[in-house]
Amino acid sequence: MRKISLIILLVLPTVLTGCWDQRLLVNRTLVNGVSFDVTEDGKIAAAVRALNIQSKGGGLFEIQDELVEAKRPTIVGLGLDLDSKIPGELDASKAHVVIIGEDLAKKGIHPFVEFFYRNRESYMSSKIVIGKRKGKEILSVEKEKSPIAFAILQLLEGAESDTVIPKKSTFTVWNNILDPGKDMVLPYLERVKQDKVQVAGVALFNGDTYTGITIAKEKSGLLMSLMNQLNKNNRMALILGSKRNGRSISFSTRDIRRNLEVQVDQDENITCKINLKMDIEVISYPQDFKSEINIKKLNQDLSDEFTKKAKEITNTLVNANCDAFGIGRQISSFHPELWKKINWDQEYKNVQIEPVVKVNIIKTGNVF
Amino acid sequence: MTKNQITKFQLFFLLIQSQIGVALLSLPHAVQVSAKGDGWISTIIAGLAVQVMLVVYWQLLKRFPALMYTEITKKVVGNFLGKLLNVFIYMNFILVGGLATILFIKLINLWLLPLTPGWMISALILTACIYLAISDLKIIARFFVLATSLILLLWFTSVLSWFTPKEFQYVLPIGSSGLKNILLGSNNSLLAMLGFEALLFFFPFMIENDKNGVIKTVSLANLTITLFYTYFIFITLISFSTDQLAQMREPLLNLLRGISYNMIDRVDLIFLSVWMVPMATSIITYLFAASKSLNLEKKNYPKAVLLNGCILFLITLIPNEDAIITLFNQYVSYLSYVVVFLIPTLLLILSFLMKKHEMSESR
Repeated sequence: MRKISLIILLVLPTVLTGCWDQRLLVNRTLVNGVSFDVTEDGKIAAAVRALNIQSKGGGLFEIQDELVEAKRPTIVGLGLDLDSKIPGELDASKAHVVIIGEDLAKKGIHPFVEFFYRNRESYMSSKIVIGKRKGKEILSVEKEKSPIAFAILQLLEGAESDTVIPKKSTFTVWNNILDPGKDMVLPYLERVKQDKVQVAGVALFNGDTYTGITIAKEKSGLLMSLMNQLNKNNRMALILGSKRNGRSISFSTRDIRRNLEVQVDQDENITCKINLKMDIEVISYPQDFKSEINIKKLNQDLSDEFTKKAKEITNTLVNANCDAFGIGRQISSFHPELWKKINWDQEYKNVQIEPVVKVNIIKTGNVF
Repeated sequence: MTKNQITKFQLFFLLIQSQIGVALLSLPHAVQVSAKGDGWISTIIAGLAVQVMLVVYWQLLKRFPALMYTEITKKVVGNFLGKLLNVFIYMNFILVGGLATILFIKLINLWLLPLTPGWMISALILTACIYLAISDLKIIARFFVLATSLILLLWFTSVLSWFTPKEFQYVLPIGSSGLKNILLGSNNSLLAMLGFEALLFFFPFMIENDKNGVIKTVSLANLTITLFYTYFIFITLISFSTDQLAQMREPLLNLLRGISYNMIDRVDLIFLSVWMVPMATSIITYLFAASKSLNLEKKNYPKAVLLNGCILFLITLIPNEDAIITLFNQYVSYLSYVVVFLIPTLLLILSFLMKKHEMSESR
């Protein structure tokens, strides 16, 4: 008796599979990139690059890439509109790239992130980037070549490993938006001539709103270092001295050690000291080819130059009201009384940030 | 009775499996509601409270080594009052079991199978639970030992999440929420801690020689669970800001959701499919305790399990709405405080004052 009931128990669930929650790949249209923009009349325009998979029988599939757009006063319902425009069910579970146009980003990006984290199906590792002018401009690049989102994804991953842009996904952006003590920077993409997309730098945020200020990609590598981020490598090139007859050098950062210290004096003035030590490897230094590199002098020159640049960057950050270093978080942890008293959004402008960069050449390549 | 006995080793895993279940996944949220960044202190305090109760249980069980909770009540306060208390005890186990099942179904519906009707999931889970709960405690214990490997899996999966961005400053400054809020946080973690009271039903089934060292075993189990919970709360606290945690239903699953590899994605869903087993083991324990608390003869026990399983199924048919479940949760936790903390303490005091224990009765 017991065995029979066990067999029935084992057989029943197998019959049930696929009764309710069955989703076939052929019935779905996989979205691989999404863009959001604001139109002139203030509506939200969304565009998706979707892969339409159609079974041709015998295990063969036909794959088509298409660009579909929809407009609505708010983000709510855009998904339904898009869904009705494409064959099959819209599936955002593999939307690798989310591009938000800069005008829209200035109004706040929270609604667009919320859509992704609330939905249980959606992908938490999609990259969120800000597009110069319109997000759709970037998404619609190279229409005939499919799928474009993967090209953008590779571009972003390359820039991430070069530490030009921070590693940002829906997951981390969600965290940053809700953290009052720290602001984020997001990758900033632009479309250039001949249908290409390039990383233009990073966009500075205050809370969930884009401040309209960016840091160009030449400087964003240093910003990343100041934020204590170093991925695979961080290559930089610069000219020391005047542009015409200065010495040019390119190098790759091997290791960084950053020390961030927030000091509050008796008058409650906040000073933030950032000490950054960079160990670098020289890649190219075409001057003084008859002698060895004077490492000591070069170290000094590079340190001076970078300290100057770091100051420019921190000034930009303060002007943009973007607390990328998490100074507010430091204050809330170590000076909780002060934190409760001040309005950080307004107080941040008065913070003195004093960066000091020390460069140390540890390798000079194959030659001295 | 001789055949159906468990060892100290098995008791350890029985307790661990009874305690760890569906509540762990939402525990960081429940705790942070009042304790904010100090939630990890709350679980340590909750662990200490459980430890105190375990000592009370131990003293009580030492006096009546062959009796179960519901038999002890009758012995100490007499037949009539004892039966009245037993009704409360039975209600507690059925309702806590029902709550665990409801939360389980809700979780599966939310994350894995959105379209499958709740009654179907409930029926599938409960048949499996009834099937195991009908067996001897020895078989249940063996299964629980085996299933503990899955809890280790959770730990290994959590190691993957170490590589997502972490911010230790979220828990600083330590103690900023104040003692009152930390204690309220401990209160909120009660549901996750429940399950240890099953000791009052497991103890009579232990091998005679092992009974003496039980306090060590249960303390070790409690320590393991407290450390386990504290670790998970801590790791979620440093991964998410307070405002973010306040939004999340299941912070632990969200933590795993952020992990992504080229080969494997959505670790949370893979994990949840495996985690069903530890969630079911808690339900099995409650089913076992509820059925035992009816004080039936041995041959009627399977029928009691079947009946209680059906009652659990009916409880899960309660509409799956947040408001109703919160209310249900609240009342159940009041009942649990009475059954898990108050009654055993009173029984111990009474039996101490009246100098009642099994030995004197038999003489």
